[in-house]
Amino acid sequence: MRTLSIAALVLVMSASLASAQAISSGAQPIALNATLAESLTVALTANAVNFTLAAGNAANPGSTPITATTSWVLKPGRTQVVVDAYFLAAATALSDGAGDNIPSSAFTISDNGGAAAPLVNTVAFGGANAGLALETIAITGANKNSKVTDAMTFNINLSTGTLPQLPAAIYTGTLNIQAQATP
Amino acid sequence: MTRFGTIRVAGLIAVVVMAAVNLQAQAVSSGAQTIALNATLSEAITLNVSANAVNFNLTAGSANNPGSIAITATTTWTLKPNRGNVSLYAFFSNSASALNDGAGDNIPSADFQISDNGGAFAALTNTVPFGGANAGLQVANWKVVGNNKQGTRNDTLNFNINLSTIPNLPAGVYTGTLTLQVQAI
Repeated sequence: MRTLSIAALVLVMSASLASAQAISSGAQPIALNATLAESLTVALTANAVNFTLAAGNAANPGSTPITATTSWVLKPGRTQVVVDAYFLAAATALSDGAGDNIPSSAFTISDNGGAAAPLVNTVAFGGANAGLALETIAITGANKNSKVTDAMTFNINLSTGTLPQLPAAIYTGTLNIQAQATP
Repeated sequence: MTRFGTIRVAGLIAVVVMAAVNLQAQAVSSGAQTIALNATLSEAITLNVSANAVNFNLTAGSANNPGSIAITATTTWTLKPNRGNVSLYAFFSNSASALNDGAGDNIPSADFQISDNGGAFAALTNTVPFGGANAGLQVANWKVVGNNKQGTRNDTLNFNINLSTIPNLPAGVYTGTLTLQVQAI
């Protein structure tokens, strides 16, 4: 009799457990597609600098410093970002339109308070021997998304070569700032 | 035969006739034949979604990267009397790599958020009956009582990816599968 009672109890408990089984719907998948676009941008605080030149003078500073902010969001595989300043031609960085030129070697940039350096290198952009690398940054997992600022001050050195004989005129030119991520 | 005698005889005859008539009116019945009836209302719970894909245009480091569309999840149920609760769950199979670019870069489930019916956004950081550990969210939960053993419910879901905690995520196309499922207990 006692055995029968226990068996009945077990049966009731089993039935109870069976009815407590959760019931679930089918799974509904939702495909997610998130795109983080690759980007590399340079923003400048100003787009013009004036110089009041003194003939033969080594120090002819620009009227205003300019800060370049380079920002990037890069794909895996990129290992380096460079920021370059350059002219299209080394011999005619600035010219008066009458055949008189100020070469890029006479144009210097001081980056973030460092020593002034002339644009005499061949960089990723511009003419041969007409550039200066402002930044060369190794990209790792920690800076796939980052930015760098370059506060530039400018000078034109008229003390070298034939430049002390530069005729009076208005000399104009275009300095470019550009960044590149590689490979 | 006296007059009283005649009346007695006539009365006796009437009683006999009525008795005979009564005997003839008794119904006759067969034995009862039983028919067993068995009607089954199956227990069911289904989930339908209004769309099966959501796109995101991500901005590096931004906390707000909303999904391109909202999705409405419609739950329909017919439940047994002992069911008391229904829950809608959203989950990924793995919390660390809810979305990934296939190059080892991941967006974890903790940075994927869902807002249900206009409520606050919540990240998928809980362990729910489905999916990976710490990769889920109980999106909604409702009681089932006598008057809604059968019912339907809509949950409108909005999505967001928060990149403020992973600002160094590299550019890429990140894909993943979010799964919705309901359970009654």
